[in-house]
Amino acid sequence: MHWSASGMLRPSTVGEAVEMLSAARAAGLEAALLGGGTDLVPALRAGQRQVQTIIGLRRVLELRVRGAGADRLTIGAGVTYTDLVGWSLSPGLARAARVVGSAQIRNTGTVGGALGSARPASDLLTFLTAADAEVLTVSPRGPRRQPLARFLAARPEPDALVTAVRLARPGGPATYLKIGGRQAAYPAEVSCAVVVDRVRHTLACAVGGIGRQPVRMVEAEAYAQAAVDWATGTVSSAAAARFADLVTEATQALTPTLPVGPHGSARYRIHAAGVLAGRAFARCLNPAIARPALAATLLPAAPHSDFLRPDTFGPDTPHADPATPHVDGTGPQGAR
Amino acid sequence: MRRPDGPAKVHGRFRYVGDLQVPGMLHARTLRSPHPRARIRHLDTAAARRVPGVAVLVTAADVPGLATYGLIVADQPVFGGVRGEVRYAGEPVAAVAAVDARAARHALAAIEVDYEPLPPVTDPRRALAADTPTLHPNGNLFREIDIRHGEDGVHGPVVVEDDYAIGMQDQAFLAPEAAVAIPAADGGIDLLVATQWLHSDREQIAACLALPEQLVRLTLAGVGGAFGGREDITVQIHAALLARAAGAPVRIAYDRVESFLGHPHRHPARMRLRHTATHDGELVSVTARVLLDGGAYASSSPAVLANAITHAAGPYRVPHARLHGLVVRTNNPPCGAMRGFGVPQVTIGHEAQMDRLADALGLDPVGLRVRNALQPGDVLPTGQVLGGPLPARELITLVAARPLPPPAKHDPTGLSLPGGLPAMAEPSRVRRGIGYALAYKNLLFSEGVDDASTARVRLALAADGTPHAQVHSACAEVGQGFVTIAAQIARTELGIDQIELLPADTAVASAGSTSASRQTWMSGGAVRGACAAVVDRLLARVARAAGLPGPVVETARRSLTITGGQIVGAEVGLRMSVADALAMGPVEAEYTFHHRRTTALGAAGQGDPHVAFAAAAHRAVVDVDLDLGLVRVVSMALAQDCGTVLNPLALRGQVEGGTAQGLGLAVMEELVTDAGRVVNPTFHDYLIPTAADVPDLDFVAVTEPQPDAPYGVKGVGEAPTCTATPAIIAAIRAAVGRDLRRVPVRPHHLVGPPDADPPDADAASGGPFGEGPS
Ligand SMILES: Cc1cc2nc3c(=O)[nH]c(=O)nc-3n(C[C@H](O)[C@H](O)[C@H](O)COP(=O)(O)OP(=O)(O)OC[C@H]3O[C@@H](n4cnc5c(N)ncnc54)[C@H](O)[C@@H]3O)c2cc1C
Repeated sequence: MHWSASGMLRPSTVGEAVEMLSAARAAGLEAALLGGGTDLVPALRAGQRQVQTIIGLRRVLELRVRGAGADRLTIGAGVTYTDLVGWSLSPGLARAARVVGSAQIRNTGTVGGALGSARPASDLLTFLTAADAEVLTVSPRGPRRQPLARFLAARPEPDALVTAVRLARPGGPATYLKIGGRQAAYPAEVSCAVVVDRVRHTLACAVGGIGRQPVRMVEAEAYAQAAVDWATGTVSSAAAARFADLVTEATQALTPTLPVGPHGSARYRIHAAGVLAGRAFARCLNPAIARPALAATLLPAAPHSDFLRPDTFGPDTPHADPATPHVDGTGPQGAR
Repeated sequence: MRRPDGPAKVHGRFRYVGDLQVPGMLHARTLRSPHPRARIRHLDTAAARRVPGVAVLVTAADVPGLATYGLIVADQPVFGGVRGEVRYAGEPVAAVAAVDARAARHALAAIEVDYEPLPPVTDPRRALAADTPTLHPNGNLFREIDIRHGEDGVHGPVVVEDDYAIGMQDQAFLAPEAAVAIPAADGGIDLLVATQWLHSDREQIAACLALPEQLVRLTLAGVGGAFGGREDITVQIHAALLARAAGAPVRIAYDRVESFLGHPHRHPARMRLRHTATHDGELVSVTARVLLDGGAYASSSPAVLANAITHAAGPYRVPHARLHGLVVRTNNPPCGAMRGFGVPQVTIGHEAQMDRLADALGLDPVGLRVRNALQPGDVLPTGQVLGGPLPARELITLVAARPLPPPAKHDPTGLSLPGGLPAMAEPSRVRRGIGYALAYKNLLFSEGVDDASTARVRLALAADGTPHAQVHSACAEVGQGFVTIAAQIARTELGIDQIELLPADTAVASAGSTSASRQTWMSGGAVRGACAAVVDRLLARVARAAGLPGPVVETARRSLTITGGQIVGAEVGLRMSVADALAMGPVEAEYTFHHRRTTALGAAGQGDPHVAFAAAAHRAVVDVDLDLGLVRVVSMALAQDCGTVLNPLALRGQVEGGTAQGLGLAVMEELVTDAGRVVNPTFHDYLIPTAADVPDLDFVAVTEPQPDAPYGVKGVGEAPTCTATPAIIAAIRAAVGRDLRRVPVRPHHLVGPPDADPPDADAASGGPFGEGPS
């Protein structure tokens, strides 16, 4: 490969990676972090990005860890979509990961890469926006934690490494819907995530594909908070329609917007956002529509566990010590 | 018999031409105009030539021979010239060869081109307007055909009239364009290329290089799909110029974006169709006006128009017709050959009209088609009398009788519903529709062209003493299956097992293009003829050696037969193995196959233009998400007129691929241009169907032999592409009750305001054709 003429560095700790990044910059070299490479490699091949140093993160085992605390989930930047697909601790996240690209992209693409690329319609980022996620980074100035929305809105820090994202343990159903040009393996044209917290009585909704980054639907959320019967966690069908309308109104008013895709229509995109939001809302809350298998269901209260063993390693990666296995009683896939 | 290259392709081991390595080879890249129309004031390559690693750089000034090339008319510059204009965004301006691709890319960035952008002409309706600039010395009209059939002004009482528009589809083949050019000691050049037609390439390359043709030698290298997109020259001349300038082998290759810009596409079409019929559903007249956007250069536009317009009334008996077609030059990307070659576009139109006519008459759409379907002996709008067989009526009847798929099953994952798993459609908001389409497509080259094919066969003893035949044809294998067909034919004719198909190259005479559904018929015919000549020679030799009388020697086939490696003459009491007969030396023969002669289109578009036809009928079943307008094709059934089937597996591959490509045009595939620039030249933005989008095909072959073709074959690759698209559109129309006049159909056409699918956004201003001759 043409770009491999340049140096490929393989740190094994976050500290080393950050040092390498700074050293490269100090030497006046353009450096790039390499996660799965699904975005970076095509950009290098096409000559859209030119770098002298590539810092491969595959051997940084601490980035490849998923963990669950008492009320928080932490997902390392090196975790792949496939790792998330089977993760029972966040069925909403698992669903968002499941509808990314093709199996090959899911096996390779990472959470850190999604944050590094910050594609406006990224499936993961839309879901994480609804989930009020935080982004953990490390730079020569030390570690930092910031809300995802702020991370996305700010200019990327070229010397910072994303180490993990953190989100609350689910307190209710959540789902993620997207549409695009075909039946499978497509980038989102419009997408919508709904995350319900039956403990705190909140509902969050984010729409992807219209704004420059995923956008929270605050009016619709406020309406939902009041419309949901929190004792049962359900709403009327009329409420879903109203919720959809509020999302349509909010997306209509949104500026700035992404340019409409080559085949798209701005009006349709707004319409579709409303339809998807109404659907996602109903799937989470309306038992008449949401059959059990359809909505990601409420989790049983999970026993507490710390970091879990990452479940996939590349051939060149030594196996980490198995961490405390997590038991949550959801069957054979439980801890994966 | 299975494809010999199948396992290598499936396992990723097949070497496409872009994978080839030659010692000492340079890597070449192409600089393209970003402007759809511009004058090049100045081109400065000095800095680029100084980029480390750069070997040679060529521009228009370095073309020693003809400055232009083209399949039918040589109107396309090898490089956009300093004195001339560039005429489309993506037109090559220079090419560089360097020690690696990276250096070549750096050099491209260092070429300074001073463009003077000119206002592009991108609306084909304006191409012939009086105030539109002439874009090329040859003018803005590639061709106009006006067919008049029956009497003017005779119409039926029931009238259906509308406008239709079809977007630009791309061939989107697997392996992007590439070639390796190697300068030879004799002053000539050897090329390894992925092409559809070696000899046409050779003729064009030789003319531009100012070399005699015999010094330009081409060998077919691994082709990754073609679908018409490799009929035109892309990399060939550039590679040859660079290799000769460098005195070193050069590999030139496109990436995916360049591939989307580099080859001609399917013509976008606009048409207005008017069908009239009697109250009981007998077609009386068809009036068609078809406008094709040919883009910047001619490519095969003139022939595509002939196909489109002669098929514009579809496979139906029409007593009175006026079919008027134009193909014009614009500053859009050039358009040319693509599977179906003009017929898919008009089929979308005439089949929409048939459905709407059935609606207007209160008739069943299948019944209306059965009633009007062509039969051998009918007179076509060109005056051509339809030869046989053409089981159109049988096909539509058959396909309509295929079992329907079960109703949508309750699928909690959404996987089998429109939009798939990610969209998780609400089953109660999904509606099903069923649609039909019938079409016919000409086979082989038309309008008086004698597109002959030559093959050479040599029968000899292999080193181990067994008979062994070498088949040599320049037929380009682009996936259609000549590799198996040629061997099957040779085995059948020669009665031996060991057949070797030599590489396709220009050391043998032309086999013509791998297009127009023609190679099984034409090059299959050539191989068969060459084998038969070899057998005749061998049998004559055996008869002579056995001392049989002169008349027996002259017509040895009457008394001797060759089967299972044995030559047997029961009546003359002779038996000899082929191996023994070959001990006297090898036998070789060459044969050129010609199809029956056709004629050009004369006055009023009359003539006998097409060699033969094949028909197909599809039934599509779709589910539509009524809220989101997403479509899932649930089932496709196809009945096709296949002639004699030589290789059932290869046939299946062709009809499944043709169906998938038609499906792509129906609901997703379109290259979109904005002011002449392609805005979606990647597989992120130009989506093609995946396995999740294409249902299993329920396929029935109707196998009436074609009398004038070898073994009774017909070409099979194109007809299903023509019918898949309109059948799916018809099914969507049935599900949502909208007219659907713009293809591909997009979700917003199905859920937006009812007028969301105008064939033209600005149809109000000037209709679909705007100004121009009428
Ligand atoms: C065919 C195809 C289909 C796709 N389909 C989808 C889809 O359906 N939905 C979707 O959302 N996305 C899709 N993508 C996009 C892509 O897979 C995601 O954006 C993915 O998450 C990127 O992860 P990666 O590990 O491959 O990143 P890489 O390519 O390795 O890196 C991407 C960027 O992030 C930077 N980076 C990597 N790791 C870090 C880190 N730890 N900290 C800071 N910066 C970092 C890199 O330097 C680079 O700039 C698709 C991509 C392809 C090629």
